[in-house]
Amino acid sequence: MNGPGTNGAAERAPEGWRDLSRFIPWLLGFCVLLVLPWLAVNPYQNYLLNVILINVILAVGLNIVKGFAGQVTVGHIALAAIGAYTSAILSVKFGLPFWLALPAATLVTGLAGALVGIPAFRLEGAYLALATLGLAESVRIFISATDYVGASIGFSDIPPPMLAGKPLGSHIAYYYVVMPVALVGIYLSFCILRSDIGRAFKALREDSLAAAAAGINVRKYKLLAFVISAFYAGCAGSLTAHMSPGFLNPNSYTITEMVTLLLMVVLGGIGHIWGGVIGAVLVTIINDLTVDFYQYRLAIFGMIIVLTVLYMPRGIGGVIDRHFATKRFIALRKAKASVNA
Amino acid sequence: MKSASFRASYVLASALLLAAGVPSAPAAAADDVIRIGVTLRMIVENGLKYGQMTKDELEAVNATGGINGKKIEVTLLDDECKPDRGIANVNRFIHQHKVHLVLGSTCSSVSIPMVDVVTKEEVPQIIPHSTNTSITQKGSPWVFRTSVSERFYSAVHAKYLAENVGKKVAYLYTTDGAAISFAKDYMGYMERTYKVEPIYTAQMQETDLDFRSHLLKIKSLNPDVLAIGGQLDAIARITQQSYEVGIPSKVRRVAASAASNAPVPELAGNAAVGLTFAAAFSCKDERPVAQQFVKMVQDKYKVRCPDHDFSQAYETAQIVKLALSRAKLSLTDAALAQDRRAIRDALATIKDYSGLASGPINFCADPTPQCRDGNRTGILVEYTKGGKDYDMRVLARVSFEADFGLAK
Repeated sequence: MNGPGTNGAAERAPEGWRDLSRFIPWLLGFCVLLVLPWLAVNPYQNYLLNVILINVILAVGLNIVKGFAGQVTVGHIALAAIGAYTSAILSVKFGLPFWLALPAATLVTGLAGALVGIPAFRLEGAYLALATLGLAESVRIFISATDYVGASIGFSDIPPPMLAGKPLGSHIAYYYVVMPVALVGIYLSFCILRSDIGRAFKALREDSLAAAAAGINVRKYKLLAFVISAFYAGCAGSLTAHMSPGFLNPNSYTITEMVTLLLMVVLGGIGHIWGGVIGAVLVTIINDLTVDFYQYRLAIFGMIIVLTVLYMPRGIGGVIDRHFATKRFIALRKAKASVNA
Repeated sequence: MKSASFRASYVLASALLLAAGVPSAPAAAADDVIRIGVTLRMIVENGLKYGQMTKDELEAVNATGGINGKKIEVTLLDDECKPDRGIANVNRFIHQHKVHLVLGSTCSSVSIPMVDVVTKEEVPQIIPHSTNTSITQKGSPWVFRTSVSERFYSAVHAKYLAENVGKKVAYLYTTDGAAISFAKDYMGYMERTYKVEPIYTAQMQETDLDFRSHLLKIKSLNPDVLAIGGQLDAIARITQQSYEVGIPSKVRRVAASAASNAPVPELAGNAAVGLTFAAAFSCKDERPVAQQFVKMVQDKYKVRCPDHDFSQAYETAQIVKLALSRAKLSLTDAALAQDRRAIRDALATIKDYSGLASGPINFCADPTPQCRDGNRTGILVEYTKGGKDYDMRVLARVSFEADFGLAK
């Protein structure tokens, strides 16, 4: 589990301490994030933090299926819609509390993810993209035409989570619901991607035939990538549904939102472990900063995509990786030179 | 992994810190200025123009010293007819710009969640365009509407057409909110008032291009009225295709209020002749106040025939200025909540406001649709010429009681 260059003291340290030390950065990160909303100047920034964190969950999930397993999907936004509406239905129509609706919606979306994954057995590349696009549009159209979920007018009055009888309706209170979920989501993505499953995903991405020849069950891992990614989408969807003012509308799950989501992953770095996080944070901030230039916003986003693909095909994560790889290479060369000398 | 995750944890933390810090620039709101946040759907035909007109109209008072000596500062944003964007805009207005009043939005699906936000934060909101009946039924004491509610619109054409054309109606509509509302309210009125069932109903997708299979079935049923619900391109397409399949011109084509937008007669061409719709304003209104407005829009915004999106945005701006002139405002940061309440109370005093709207606009203090659906008069308009040089005439003007269309 250790990265290159970290094999000295840590490997000599006792097993228990190594296990514990692995969590220290996460705990420190958690502590920093814990105080973050108190640094915000106004509640709008807390609202923005919640949106960023929900986008982080969505993008990290998409990065698993797209970046690591190499499956070209444009149906991820539909999975978020399924999670959001499932959670809303469970809360509003069946009176389930948020704390049960969230895991239930995540599970239901996981099942939907399995359905999305089935076409991936036979399809690849542009064909798979088309199939998942069809599914995404079907979900949106189904919601638009279903009165039970508010059709195209929208699903209102979705309650916020309750804790000890008090609603967590304010943006700052809701942050403490979203933030731990996002952090756990990122941590789990690390665990998955550094495990055998993650290595199987990467093998699939590089060459599915070679992966099959090496004994990897291609169908199983393709399906697993879609299901895991759907868990993330469902969880993000549920968190969106219960965020104040508790309103859902199918217009929030169109192809435009899917492209924005893809931009997060592409800009952050496809296949880079932190790509989804970096991309989600940056794109949400850019989105917010350009809100006053509404005439040019779409052009700005289009330009970012084109420039990223042209000059940073591996995204910001790729640039960071290359920087550290170069540094390590130079250090190694220097070390070898000094040994030779 | 340790060093990578260490680095990465702080990438996330610092990026989030950046997110919290960077967009916070306008947090310090200036005293002694009335701040208004305007959010509308603007990336549509003429949308940027009516958005700009609303801003210009509100800020026009600054040239003459402001309202009671106080300047108006308008922040104008586009919500793209997307609820999440509308929610973000209204949160930004309230918490970052510390506005005294929110004006918007165009789409009902955006205005509905905005109502929940302004109610929670206790900020007055005035809605210029959205027509969905449920907006004022939420019972918010902070919300006012100058546009004509769907509960009135549906009855304008239903009543006129049932009495003057016929009661055999075929409905063809798309899945967007306004179209569904148009068709269902029309059907409901016909059923309640005349005990008449629709002879045909079909719902299509917003993105559908070919409606001819439905139209052929409708033709065989020989209806008196073809009711078309949809956004402007769908209305133009269905109208045109209805002639292609041979539905005779004696069958009255009636459409949702989106038919008032210029692209409908332009796209439909000659097929637009006879197409009827309910609206709040027509550029063919001969009253001097209306013609003066039409000339102003033509000269300043280069729009030949301003539709009711323009007139309602203009009207709303005038009503806001009138209310602001009546409100006693301190305009300090400490008195923000008190000023917001004063503006809300001043809006509730608007009585018999007569301007561009088809009838007088009235508000009152109760948070009920009777008090907050200000405009209760719709007009029925018919296109008399299609194409680029389209023309129209007003067929009827119908006013309703305040509690019309509400459950007893």
